[in-house]
Amino acid sequence: MEALLNGFAIVLTAENLLYCFIGAFLGTVVGILPGLGPLTTIAILLPITFKMDVTSAIIMLSGIYYGVAYGGTVTSVLMRIPGEASSVVTCLDGYEMARKGRAGSALFIAGVGSFVAGTLGVIAISFLSPPLAKMVLAFGPSEYAMMMLAGLSMVTYMSGGSLPRALLMAAFGLLLGTIGLDPMTMTPRLTFDILTLADGVNLVPLAIGLFGLSEVLFMARKEESELKILAPPKGLAGFLPTAEEARRSVGPVGRGTVLGFLVGLLPGGGAVIASFLSYAVERKLSKNPEEFGKGAVEGLAGPEAANNAGTTGAFVPLLCMGIPANAITALLLGAFMIHGVAPGPQILERSPEVFWGVVASMYIGNIMLLVLNLPLIGLFVKILDIPRAYLTPMILLVCLIGVYSNSGNPADVVVAVVFGFVGYFLRRHGFDLGIVILAYVLGPIFERSVRQALSISDGDPMIFLHSKLSIGFALAAAIILIAGLWPKRTAAPKG
Amino acid sequence: MAGSGSTPQPPTQASAVRPGSGVRLATLALLATALVGLWQAWGLERWALDGPGPGLWPMIVASVCVGLAVIVLIWPGRDGATEDGDTETIDAAELGRTRSTFGLYCLALVVLAIGSAFAGFVLTAFAVSILLVRFAEGRSWLSALIYGAAASVIGLVCFAWLLRVDLPTGPIERAFLSLVR
Repeated sequence: MEALLNGFAIVLTAENLLYCFIGAFLGTVVGILPGLGPLTTIAILLPITFKMDVTSAIIMLSGIYYGVAYGGTVTSVLMRIPGEASSVVTCLDGYEMARKGRAGSALFIAGVGSFVAGTLGVIAISFLSPPLAKMVLAFGPSEYAMMMLAGLSMVTYMSGGSLPRALLMAAFGLLLGTIGLDPMTMTPRLTFDILTLADGVNLVPLAIGLFGLSEVLFMARKEESELKILAPPKGLAGFLPTAEEARRSVGPVGRGTVLGFLVGLLPGGGAVIASFLSYAVERKLSKNPEEFGKGAVEGLAGPEAANNAGTTGAFVPLLCMGIPANAITALLLGAFMIHGVAPGPQILERSPEVFWGVVASMYIGNIMLLVLNLPLIGLFVKILDIPRAYLTPMILLVCLIGVYSNSGNPADVVVAVVFGFVGYFLRRHGFDLGIVILAYVLGPIFERSVRQALSISDGDPMIFLHSKLSIGFALAAAIILIAGLWPKRTAAPKG
Repeated sequence: MAGSGSTPQPPTQASAVRPGSGVRLATLALLATALVGLWQAWGLERWALDGPGPGLWPMIVASVCVGLAVIVLIWPGRDGATEDGDTETIDAAELGRTRSTFGLYCLALVVLAIGSAFAGFVLTAFAVSILLVRFAEGRSWLSALIYGAAASVIGLVCFAWLLRVDLPTGPIERAFLSLVR
């Protein structure tokens, strides 16, 4: 506790507060604007931090990281364009809420839910980091592989549709993830000797195509009167959630926070799995699962909280073990090392001011994000007043900038357009696209774990059942799949 | 179709037009993709001296994908819940009414892909804006021209110049950026 208070003393200086604000503000802007991802922004700003104090530098860069998570929510809710993989779930119900005139409410719930989850996540980091770090070390390649299998099974089971169709989408996502150079041997796979495919299918064109561009095609199929989005109520009170919406958000935010933080601890796409799992859990627990995908508050609040708690949780393996959870935290790891601080088990002894300063800055940063974003909700929802004739070209151009700037490769725009058509076609016939993205993101980690485990065992598949943890995950996957194939009883009609 | 449960329901207008054929068509397309993946993976090394080769994982995944596609072809099952709202709104009447608009939107996507490769951002943004605002949505030429010009200029000035975001480059971008940088 004393160490945390010292951390606050470090952050609550004018200089560090300013850096924290700059980070949170830039993160939000970057999350909303197409083209500038958090990775690019941190990479651009990294050299600027060379002459800064190490704590100030990390505070600012971390602010960008968690600020982006909120900024991505705005485009997901208002335009169905996910800024990152973990925002994909937000598109599903957040966008539908916006169409029903509840955009302000959706952004408010997302903002407050993110704040609560982020803050609780920071509290958890403050007190649980050392034991959690040891727990994560218990995961070897086989445990990882089985956990990925269990996670994918859980999400497909809880998607609510037919299990084989959901599993087919998961397999399709995994297959997409194999395109490109093999990460271990650099052998081209499924590239058809096309040089552009050697880099594989990038996540940004895939997500933007499947969600943003396919949505434009859906809008084109409808009469403008059907597309009419209900105008949000005027005044600040109109942007607040109703008492019913607030009540329905409490449980999902709490569950999403716990789930998100725990899953976020695991290196590799923790926040993504967390947001999908939270959606699946909320749908399963809901008394009205048929509302999901049509603007269910729980379908927004839970995944948003899970996403943010997962983002916070990702700092535990980074700070305590020096293991980056994703590309962005890998860059932050680089920033630490450039400044002569080696994150790892000894960071608490060698550089406590950096560790607790960063942790304390997250409390402050989350408050700043809330204060920064709530007054802007009114401005954001004005986007929905734009008629389709002007909104759809805007969405297309935002997608174009987002996709092209990510790699500077026009082929990615072609990929996005192709997946726009594919997404439209699959959505029209009731296939869940979210599962494709989840499987695509998890695919490389899944593959690496499987191959590492098989290398260790010299090809003996029993390695996947060598520890209690991996047996537990394997059993969970098996039970979930069997339960999914079990004939379901039809719910009795209401009334 | 969308929103149906596991028990048979009376056919909706949409399902009367396409009784599950769309699902099978989509599944066939996925099956074809998976078979192509399997064919590609077949030629890769599955086991090397030091452990699993590059072909092992694609082979497993493509095989699972083929198997699942066959199962879905036989037993299409219910629609995924997360996209319920989207599938239910399409019916045959709408399809006819909006066919030309939809065609123009598809064309706009193609223009977006080709334009970004060969024409640069400004020309692509302008062409897409005119195509959608004027032709697909039937707004006046004036509003289409103003919108196209505004979109192009905002993209060029705000993103390419001020924010230094990479945009598709054509003759106009090159000329502008050589002037201001």
